[in-house]
Amino acid sequence: MSFANAKRIARRELRGGLRGFRVFLACLALGVAAIAAVGSVRMSIQLGLEREGAVILGGDAEIELTYRFAEPQERAWMEGVSDRVSEIVDFRSMAVVTRGEETERGLTQVKGVDGAYPLYGAPVLEPELELAAALAGRDTYPGAVMDPVLIARLGLAVGETFRLGAQDFVLMAALEREPDSAGGGFGLGPRTIVALDALQGSGLLAPGTLFESAYRLALPEGADLGAMAARAEAELDGAGLRWRDARNGAPGVAQFVDRLGAFLVLVGLAGLAVGGVGVSAAVRAYLDQKTQVIATLKTLGAETRTIFLAYGLQIGALTLAGIAIGLVLGAVAPLALAPIIQERLPVPAVFALHPRALAEAALYGALAAAVFTLWPLARTENVRAAALYRDGAGGRVPLPRWPYLLVTAALVGALVLAAAYLSGLARLTIWSAAGMAVAFIALIGIAALTRAAARRLARTRLARGRSALRMALGSVGGPGSEAGAVVLSLGLGLTVLATVGQIDANFRSAIARDLPDVAPSFFVVDIQNAQIDAFLERVEADPEVTRVQTAPMLRGVITRINDRPAAEVAGDHWVIQGDRGITYSAAPPEGAVVTAGRWWDADYDGPPQVSFADEEAAEMGLALGDSLTINVLGRDITAEVTSFRDVDFSNAGIGFILSMNPGALAGAPHTHIATLYGEEAADARLLRELGNAYPNITLIRVRDAIARVTEVLQGIAAATTYGALATLLTGFVVLIGAAAAGERARTYEAAILKTLGASRATVLANFALRSAIFGLAAGLVAIAAGAAAGWGVMTFVMETDYAFEPGSALAIVTGGALTSLVAGLAFAWRPLAARPARVLRASE
Amino acid sequence: MVDPVARLENAQLSLDGNAGRVDILRGISFEVARGETLGLIGPSGSGKSSLLMLLGGLERATGGAVRVLGQDLTPMGEDALARFRRQHMGVVFQSFHLIPTMTALENVATPMELAGAADAFERAEAELQAVGLADRVHHYPAQMSGGEQQRVALARAAAPRPEILLADEPTGNLDGTTGQAIMDLLFGLRDRHGATLILVTHAPELAQRCDRTIRLVDGQLETDTLASAAE
Ligand SMILES: Nc1ncnc2c1ncn2[C@@H]1O[C@H](COP(=O)(O)OP(=O)(O)OP(=O)(O)O)[C@@H](O)[C@H]1O
Ligand SMILES: [Mg+2]
Repeated sequence: MSFANAKRIARRELRGGLRGFRVFLACLALGVAAIAAVGSVRMSIQLGLEREGAVILGGDAEIELTYRFAEPQERAWMEGVSDRVSEIVDFRSMAVVTRGEETERGLTQVKGVDGAYPLYGAPVLEPELELAAALAGRDTYPGAVMDPVLIARLGLAVGETFRLGAQDFVLMAALEREPDSAGGGFGLGPRTIVALDALQGSGLLAPGTLFESAYRLALPEGADLGAMAARAEAELDGAGLRWRDARNGAPGVAQFVDRLGAFLVLVGLAGLAVGGVGVSAAVRAYLDQKTQVIATLKTLGAETRTIFLAYGLQIGALTLAGIAIGLVLGAVAPLALAPIIQERLPVPAVFALHPRALAEAALYGALAAAVFTLWPLARTENVRAAALYRDGAGGRVPLPRWPYLLVTAALVGALVLAAAYLSGLARLTIWSAAGMAVAFIALIGIAALTRAAARRLARTRLARGRSALRMALGSVGGPGSEAGAVVLSLGLGLTVLATVGQIDANFRSAIARDLPDVAPSFFVVDIQNAQIDAFLERVEADPEVTRVQTAPMLRGVITRINDRPAAEVAGDHWVIQGDRGITYSAAPPEGAVVTAGRWWDADYDGPPQVSFADEEAAEMGLALGDSLTINVLGRDITAEVTSFRDVDFSNAGIGFILSMNPGALAGAPHTHIATLYGEEAADARLLRELGNAYPNITLIRVRDAIARVTEVLQGIAAATTYGALATLLTGFVVLIGAAAAGERARTYEAAILKTLGASRATVLANFALRSAIFGLAAGLVAIAAGAAAGWGVMTFVMETDYAFEPGSALAIVTGGALTSLVAGLAFAWRPLAARPARVLRASE
Repeated sequence: MVDPVARLENAQLSLDGNAGRVDILRGISFEVARGETLGLIGPSGSGKSSLLMLLGGLERATGGAVRVLGQDLTPMGEDALARFRRQHMGVVFQSFHLIPTMTALENVATPMELAGAADAFERAEAELQAVGLADRVHHYPAQMSGGEQQRVALARAAAPRPEILLADEPTGNLDGTTGQAIMDLLFGLRDRHGATLILVTHAPELAQRCDRTIRLVDGQLETDTLASAAE
């Protein structure tokens, strides 16, 4: 019975120890560990979001309104469906501190809260204080609590006063933690919380100012959130009203987590692919070394099937061991690193053992091991008994028989489908798999090209007399060349690293690149109609303001396109998510390029027309002549799209998606925005002077805004870096494995060359040149593939711009090539230093 | 008397194997004269190959001295030994030891190229022609028969015209006729270029073609016979 025989053979072979399998185990374990860890972290965050959803949102459900408070009948509806209602208002303003002559100003995101706030969770204040007591204030001043960052910037101390609009507040405590901070996404300024009542006298909530009100509902136990959302939609007239509930407490964060998750899935799969190459190479090296044993077994009468089974069983046992090690690592690592990971996350995560994540990782590991070992295992069939008497180095290795090819293809398919289904990111997974397949084929092609080129070059005059070069070229181009295996593993590893590097570097430079020197110093909002003329006159007269741009601004929501709900036409495009700024002007704005259609005449006074940003219009599938229904302050305006124009958002100047003819918006209350350009040195003075002259306006220092956005992006960039490191580690093991696999052949070659009179330097140069050739070939593919993949991920997954980062690409490719070179030389050093007799004897 | 090509003084070789220290060569002394053909014979495991390795600087003596062309090989570094070999020695092994990634031509040209000869490839081609492999120059070792491979190895050892040729059972892996042809080639090379030949062999008829035979038993020199004395 061949199975019993196979088992016996397998057991005897494994008795020899795991020496040849360290790389196999390391690659498989690292790949599985990466996926298990990534999956665990993802689930920890999801669980955290679910459990803390209500706290993050500030209630079981929230109804958000723009520019207005709830009407009495809306308020009545809310109180009817819920146990408790809390009303808050959120807007940007400037906090102003005056000390004698000195005035300090800081942008802040103000939250006005009622007595019921917070419905869930509690803020942490320093000094320890009840929120209600803090907001009650002291003496005649209402109280406020503020982000410590802002307190420090303003140089405030607890007990001192500051001003918001026309109202003075006393700072009662620092706001160390705000329970519902993640729900509102990333505001532009640090937080200040005050009592809603106290804002009545500030003049900051006047009609036409930009504020949002939100009503948090504490619903009865077991309330059906889905049904409640539907009721709100039906029973409240949806005038600019947005519903959110604890199922999705922090959409901004959820999106952040989704993208992060997508990226992590990518990294995990890439790690598995790189590890798989290492696994495959290790199995191949092991079986090559076993050629003699296999040939002997065949001579002794073992059938092909028995031999296949015997080695299959060994690999199977080792696969189980590798997966087990990987699972332990992958389960423990996130738990051990929990404090560090938590610090980087905007939400509380629930770190625990997640059996589902571990099971998925085990499945991927088993499938990948099968995919990558079947091929080399199938080659045992090709070992003939004659191998005993002939050197195995020559001849072409035939493809495995078709059943093996079929099974391998089926396993690859199963792996990709499982990943697509289980990750919930089918498109991303399939695209990455396709990308990897292309890289794979490109590498095989490049390896073949390299061999052919090397063979040719070795014959030219150029190589003659340069022994190290000729020997290197000869070995790259000759039979038994390592080109295929090394270029493939090095290339795949470097491709993944280059891709991650491109993404990483792009994140880091995105902001710096997107905001060139022409970025304005200030973005000014909330300039009232009555103030705009005086404001313009003042800044235009200022010698240090080099340029001013202004535009009227309203906010509105696109509700319908061609009289169908907007979401039906444009899907989940960001332009129809929430409210957008809208402007109007009689003439095309300065510098605007109308790319299609025609701008209305200056004296046009017919039905409403709208000019739309061309790029976004194309993404949403809009055409000239379409009609848009836009809800502006509760009033529906239906306008025809009569032109598209090129809008450049990259320089932080004024750019509106929607611009309408002045008549269309006549009478709607609105404010103006302005951008001021000038030298950084003038920033402080402008901030002080304009702030004093117009206490109600908000000046956003663009440099500060950039810093805050950068901070958020750096969180993602840190995650990409961790991912890169995990892949780097696997890639490193693969490279070492590849170097170790070639050790026997190199040692032997070194011994003969020394016998023929080659110095160690010549032999080393020969090996180094080989590595350089492989590194060059693999590096070229890696840079090209990394750039393409980086572009794809940045454009389609992260949805930002991509620019090739030569520094990162070069560093990774040189680093990878050098690593493989150093590893190769390290393995060659010991045999090189010894006399050749023993090496030569061993292969007698 | 002219200086001997090689001179062993109480040469010893001990290796630390798994089963403890093994004394392989236990104090061997003899001299080899220039132009001489020396046959090393003895039972299997007696240390013939080890002795040849010592003479080629491929193994370091653990005691005594090994002098070749007046130089003590024992203290020399690996690079100095490599240079020494490419200037003065050619080695042929029982299992050929061709570099599998090089063609016949490249294998033969390598030692001359390493020595900096500008015409390495021309000479290599001529040498291959001389051993009857003109139509095999671009073949890789795996594409050649054992006899052909050994002829390449011979060409590789002889092409640089070394003063000393070391051969370790060059016909051991070959059939009788092929082995005979290889031997004829080897002796022909010696005759044409006047090299000193040191040859390990099991075959008595080969030993008889040598000027002198040294018999090793158990790591020690048992007999040292001049051919003329035997006749
Ligand atoms: N690396 C080693 N460690 C320990 N012992 C060794 C080692 N290499 C060789 N020997 C032993 O040294 C002795 C001499 O070996 P050597 O190869 O020189 O013999 P030989 O005379 O050439 O034999 P043969 O005729 O079979 O080729 C043998 O007993 C062998 O087992
Ligand atoms: Mg021997």
